[in-house]
Amino acid sequence: MTLDEKIRKTLAELGVRDAEGVHALFDQVRAAMEIEGKDRSRWSSQRPDALRVRWLGRRNSILACIDENWLKAAPKELRPAVGSEFNSLKGRANAMLDLNLERFGIDTLPPGVTPMQAFRHDLTLPGNRRPPGSIHPVTRVMREIEDIFLQLGFHIEAGPEIETVYYNFDGLNIPETHPSRDDWDTLYVNEKTLLRTHTSPVQIRAMQKYNAPLYIIAPGKVYRHDNPDSSHATMFHQVEGLAVDRDITFADLKGTLDFFAKKFFGEKVRTSFHPSFFPFTEPSGEVAINCAICDGQGCRVCKESGWLEVMGCGMVHPEVLRHGGIDPGEFTGWAFGLGVERYAMMKYGVNDIQLFYQSDLRFLEQF
Amino acid sequence: MRISLNWLREFVDVEAKPKQLKADLTAMGLNVESLATASGDWLMEVEVTTNRPDCLSHYGVAREVAAFYRKPLKPLKFAVEESPPRASERISIEIADPALCARYCGRVVENVHVAPSPDWLAHRLDAMGQRPINNIADVTNYALMELGHPLHAFDLDRIREHRIIVRRARPGEPLRTLDGADRRLTANDLVIADAARPVALAGVMGGEDTEISLSTRAVLLESAWFDPASIRRAAKSQGLHTEASHRFERGADIEMAPVALDRAAALIAELAGGKILSGRVDLYPAPPKRDAILLRPAEISRLLGTKLAAEEVERILGALGFTVNRANGAGWRVEPPSFRLDVTREVDLIEEVARQFGYDRLPARVRPAPPRIEGDLDREKVLEVTDVLTGLGYREIIPSSMVDPADNALFTDRPPVPLANPLSQDASALRSSALVSMVRALEFNLDRGLSDLRFFELGKTYQAVASEHPQERRVLTLGLAGHRRPASVHDAGRELDFFDLKADIERLFEPFDLPGLRFDLGSRLAYEPGLSGQYLNGSEGLAVFGRLKSEIKRHYKLRSDAWLAEIDLERLLAVALRPRVFRPYPKFPAVQRDFSLVVPASLSYGQLAEAIEKLGVEEIRCVEPVERKTAAELPAGILPEGHVSLLLRVTFQSMARTLTGEEVEDAAGRICRALELQGARLRS
Repeated sequence: MTLDEKIRKTLAELGVRDAEGVHALFDQVRAAMEIEGKDRSRWSSQRPDALRVRWLGRRNSILACIDENWLKAAPKELRPAVGSEFNSLKGRANAMLDLNLERFGIDTLPPGVTPMQAFRHDLTLPGNRRPPGSIHPVTRVMREIEDIFLQLGFHIEAGPEIETVYYNFDGLNIPETHPSRDDWDTLYVNEKTLLRTHTSPVQIRAMQKYNAPLYIIAPGKVYRHDNPDSSHATMFHQVEGLAVDRDITFADLKGTLDFFAKKFFGEKVRTSFHPSFFPFTEPSGEVAINCAICDGQGCRVCKESGWLEVMGCGMVHPEVLRHGGIDPGEFTGWAFGLGVERYAMMKYGVNDIQLFYQSDLRFLEQF
Repeated sequence: MRISLNWLREFVDVEAKPKQLKADLTAMGLNVESLATASGDWLMEVEVTTNRPDCLSHYGVAREVAAFYRKPLKPLKFAVEESPPRASERISIEIADPALCARYCGRVVENVHVAPSPDWLAHRLDAMGQRPINNIADVTNYALMELGHPLHAFDLDRIREHRIIVRRARPGEPLRTLDGADRRLTANDLVIADAARPVALAGVMGGEDTEISLSTRAVLLESAWFDPASIRRAAKSQGLHTEASHRFERGADIEMAPVALDRAAALIAELAGGKILSGRVDLYPAPPKRDAILLRPAEISRLLGTKLAAEEVERILGALGFTVNRANGAGWRVEPPSFRLDVTREVDLIEEVARQFGYDRLPARVRPAPPRIEGDLDREKVLEVTDVLTGLGYREIIPSSMVDPADNALFTDRPPVPLANPLSQDASALRSSALVSMVRALEFNLDRGLSDLRFFELGKTYQAVASEHPQERRVLTLGLAGHRRPASVHDAGRELDFFDLKADIERLFEPFDLPGLRFDLGSRLAYEPGLSGQYLNGSEGLAVFGRLKSEIKRHYKLRSDAWLAEIDLERLLAVALRPRVFRPYPKFPAVQRDFSLVVPASLSYGQLAEAIEKLGVEEIRCVEPVERKTAAELPAGILPEGHVSLLLRVTFQSMARTLTGEEVEDAAGRICRALELQGARLRS
């Protein structure tokens, strides 16, 4: 007897008399459903809802017949068993059909039937999106820099943005009488107080606070008396780094900053160190990486040199160590300072530094 | 400093191609910003750092290049053909303030014929970006570019009594300088004066009255050395920056003074046909004595991490003009040349060696810091807060901390920190409220038609404190406008309300251990009365939030309401993160009871919830408001005047057993009585 014949008979006609018999009978139905559900070839040539009509249709479907002939006509003692089996079968049938929609997808649709007709909803509508949040690109770059140095065992230190002239200049070996002081255009609060022009004051503050050995980075805002344009901002961000210990040499400076550059800009990046001047380091240098835009051949971005300057660095000046309360005869140190916006501009191709501070949603949502 | 390759080649034989030379100069610390061809020559823009005035000339750069390429540097020898009488018979010179003028050399050239310079000289100055003037002034400029020593030429016949006195100006003394400006001098300004008046601002700019003119017949050439700090002060106070002051304030070469003087005198005689009077007047009361610096090989390797061959050290320092003598024991006694005032310490010598040796040839090693056990707690907390906010759809902004104090005053009574030299009124003070920047950010976007905004800023506020250092406080600011979720085909947009913001703030506090956290109504300057609240930790305020006051909204012409919050980060970050501890949940069924209440409008949900909590019924799992309706929302007559209807749902559940009907009824009864005591009435 086929399934289609069985469902048109009553339980009595099928000779089912106890719960066990009911269970065995439903097992057969479930097995048939399983086979039909997976039979792609049988349904692919028919209407998309043929499977549903056959099993769950309102009239004459398999479940409708079972309801009519087995459940409603069941003797009282078998009712609960049939009822519970029937409900579970119904659930499975629905699940199978949903699964089938997923499994067979649109390639099972007969010719001429569009997915739109097959599905109850227009699933091509965009998702119901929650607008995402984001951190600022400068924060993103700053964190990336922090993570590299945290991995190297450095810790993060902060200092005030409103500084004294001592910490910003004199303590860093930049006396009023020396023209090097003019290298930093300064916003003053009063004669003794200013907005820090670099994160370097944190060097002295940290040395005074922790003494040596000391490995820190100090990210933060700095201020310059500079007219704003596409490459200058009155407020921007720097990350300062400082390592003071016994047995620290220029080799540590070079090795660590090369490691950092490779981590940040990519393993293949090459670094070059050339001399420079900062009153608070001696020897002082600039770190350059090979220009990724022209691959070191020379272009407008790298001013035809093939190199891009990415930070200033040097061995901590003995006077600065002394100002920090550290004996330069026992300890040596190296330090660096870099501009975060410049890194973000290089990394994300931003061509105007002012964009960072405008809070324009169209800018922010790109990061 | 602009350097001409042809000119450089007069002092050193450069074989390298210009592009290579550019790279090599950068490698020795003379960063070349640009390189360009110009009529058979190459011009380089060399960035000379403030410590290297010796490289502000072709000869100085040639010295570096010669050392680098191991080539000889052409010695300076300028033949001067002198004629009687002696210069000292024509001019008397006196240094009244030797502390500010350590040397003054002068020569007199008579019977000159002032005329335009010959083409070769004019072209060279042109290439240097200098406007040719006449054959006397041009020669002084030429010598400056060549040797780096500033010179000045006076019309000798306009110097009263043919007397020069180097002295401080008398307060208020006038001088019209070459740029045509009438200046009032102060006692801090060093001047070159004649018998009657100042004729030049020493080391900065000459005076107009004694300027070389077409009628000049006799020239007094000055080549002096002035104290760097005093030149810097004078140039700053007069608002002048000249080629001369630029070099003097950095420290000129005192031994170059007579050399440059001879160079210029000889050239003037050649070009203007004059005769150089015999003898150089040279006042040099106390030639400075500089101590030799001990340079130890051990210190070189302690700093550079490698040993350098002794011959290499000696060769480099020698080529740079240092006198190097082997010291007893290991090392050298090194005397810096007169043009290297920047070198005073052993470490300075090490830099010279490292610089010329090449940083890129020095070794490198990566050595991490000693491992640390302490974590960075503040950073962890900030990351937690940022994660919550980005998860809630907030975007971080970093606006400027500098604002217009008038804007700032709309938001707070606290005084901002005014700047002494602001760039503009718009950025003339450090803000004392971060709301200023946030509202500006919302305004910027709303004006551009961007309407659904959720911003946060992790920044600072600054506050002036009378006669003390200003204070800085970390603050987290939120700013919202538009819809709770943008309107789309799926959802109709619903405007943000107070409770959207309140939920975000509660969510923000979730990671923190804040058992004493409580809500209260708030009223602050910037917020709409009746639509602002605050969160406190015990008695300490943690957050203030609400809708921006309508007046301020109108002031900024905002196109929609703005919701704002200020969270005190100093306080929040001082709170520990909430410990994550597993608590078993009850295995027994929960029972819910609804209480349909009529409540006077003056009685808040908070008061009712608190009353239930105070009962201390252990089995109460949670209390939640399900529905709240005002009289206006219901058919007329259902609620008495001034009342609201409130549906409270209380869930009961025990950790120990299934609750019996009586137990639940008993607890529900206690709740009813407590609610009635507050003034609520159970709806029949």
